[in-house]
Amino acid sequence: MNAWLDAFVQWTAWLGLDYHFLLDTYERDSFVAGAWVTVQLCLCTMAGSLAVGVALAAALVSGRPWLAGPARLFVEVTRNTPTLVQLYCAFLVLNMLITEVIGGANPFTPFAWVVIVISLHKGVFHAEALRAGLEAVPQVTLEAATSLGFSRRQRLWRVELPLAVRVALPSLVNNLIEMVKMTAVASAIAVGDITYASILIWTQRDNVLELMILILLFFGLLSFIVNCLGRGLEARLRMPGYGH
Amino acid sequence: MATELSLTRRCAPGRHPGKVLALATLLVWLAAGAPPREVFAPLLEWSPALAKGFALNILISLLAIGLGTLLGLAIGALNLSPLRLLRLPGRLWVQVFRNAPWLVLIYFTTYVFPFEIRVAGHYLPFPDWLKVTLGLALPASANVAEVFRGAVASIPGTQWEAARSLGFSRGQILRTIILPQCCKRMLPPWMNLYAVITMGTALSSLVGVHDLLDTAQIASNTVNRVGFTVLIYFSVLALFFAYCYPISRFTRYLERRYAFR
Repeated sequence: MNAWLDAFVQWTAWLGLDYHFLLDTYERDSFVAGAWVTVQLCLCTMAGSLAVGVALAAALVSGRPWLAGPARLFVEVTRNTPTLVQLYCAFLVLNMLITEVIGGANPFTPFAWVVIVISLHKGVFHAEALRAGLEAVPQVTLEAATSLGFSRRQRLWRVELPLAVRVALPSLVNNLIEMVKMTAVASAIAVGDITYASILIWTQRDNVLELMILILLFFGLLSFIVNCLGRGLEARLRMPGYGH
Repeated sequence: MATELSLTRRCAPGRHPGKVLALATLLVWLAAGAPPREVFAPLLEWSPALAKGFALNILISLLAIGLGTLLGLAIGALNLSPLRLLRLPGRLWVQVFRNAPWLVLIYFTTYVFPFEIRVAGHYLPFPDWLKVTLGLALPASANVAEVFRGAVASIPGTQWEAARSLGFSRGQILRTIILPQCCKRMLPPWMNLYAVITMGTALSSLVGVHDLLDTAQIASNTVNRVGFTVLIYFSVLALFFAYCYPISRFTRYLERRYAFR
């Protein structure tokens, strides 16, 4: 392992890049830990955002004004404000208020706030994609389901959503890739993700370009994996004659 | 049954979120009782600084979309070229800058570029906000190039064939037939991109540019009062919303108008 790293550092030094931090156990470990935190963030926000997306989409098409109105309001506000400002509103304002109310034992860590905010933010975009999918479900199918005695909830879960997901899948995957990139804002509130770990390293060593290349490759790899998974799922779920 | 279904479907989910939001704000205001003076007086005091910060946000966004559009159209033109050698750098540019997190690009331009540039013996300062502008222009250019490609691809291929059979050359077809139609199709996604970039300018506070968010942070730390902190961050949210929401409404209006044409 170390021999390989040595060779890599030598080789890149010959190219004019300074990767010596990889030989320092502490800095290398903090970088790897940062990458792992980013992966965890991605997994948590993926699950969270999909759950939020389904809930919001269900509220949007529910046809009940008291449910659809607030959902639409939430969608508009979230879509038209910066994620970073939302994160600050959550972490600096809500977190502060919660701490004031229940004292020092605040259960919300910065990591949890990032997961919550990004899940809500991207959930809105999922909801819009799913809503388009739900609206593409043929009216006849819904009538058929109703006449077979499905309740509203059953109809949503067993008929509408499975069909809507197939239509919405390309935009859902697109949103997930955007979300992977968005996790970089976690560094703003000192969650130790890959960006934050890199900032700590380059303030010591002044090797911004080298770390930047690593970060971009890492995010490129993550997006590539999400894309492949999405393509695979699309091929698996494809129903001949329905959707694209 | 069928009529009931279609009725529930068509029930408009909140047609005017802006009005609802204004009403909700008013209700919260009233619920909070008489607005406490010690919270609103500092806001009034800080509002010129906040306005200056927001003006910087808007300046950055305008410059970034301008630069990004020029660069993106050039790259989009490269991508249309029949020569693979010319297409390759364009594809690479688009792939790299569309897949990079914006924050990382902003850090990149901020730390890699020098803080002053030597031009003909003079040292010109290269301020941070200009670097952030460049950092936002990079992904903007990649997205504009994609928008451009999509617009050209959306013109039916039969038009190319018809023009070719009328004796137009490739360049003539592009200039006189395809591009004029593309302008209209590019407008909605381009405006969408502009709104996204405006929201992206909030990231500049992380590299020490005195934008709206940074000013709000300074204000909240200086005044150091709970009510004021709540108020100022939510005013920042409201300001961004007030700027971006009309743009997105207008985009949707254009999309509806240009659809099916």
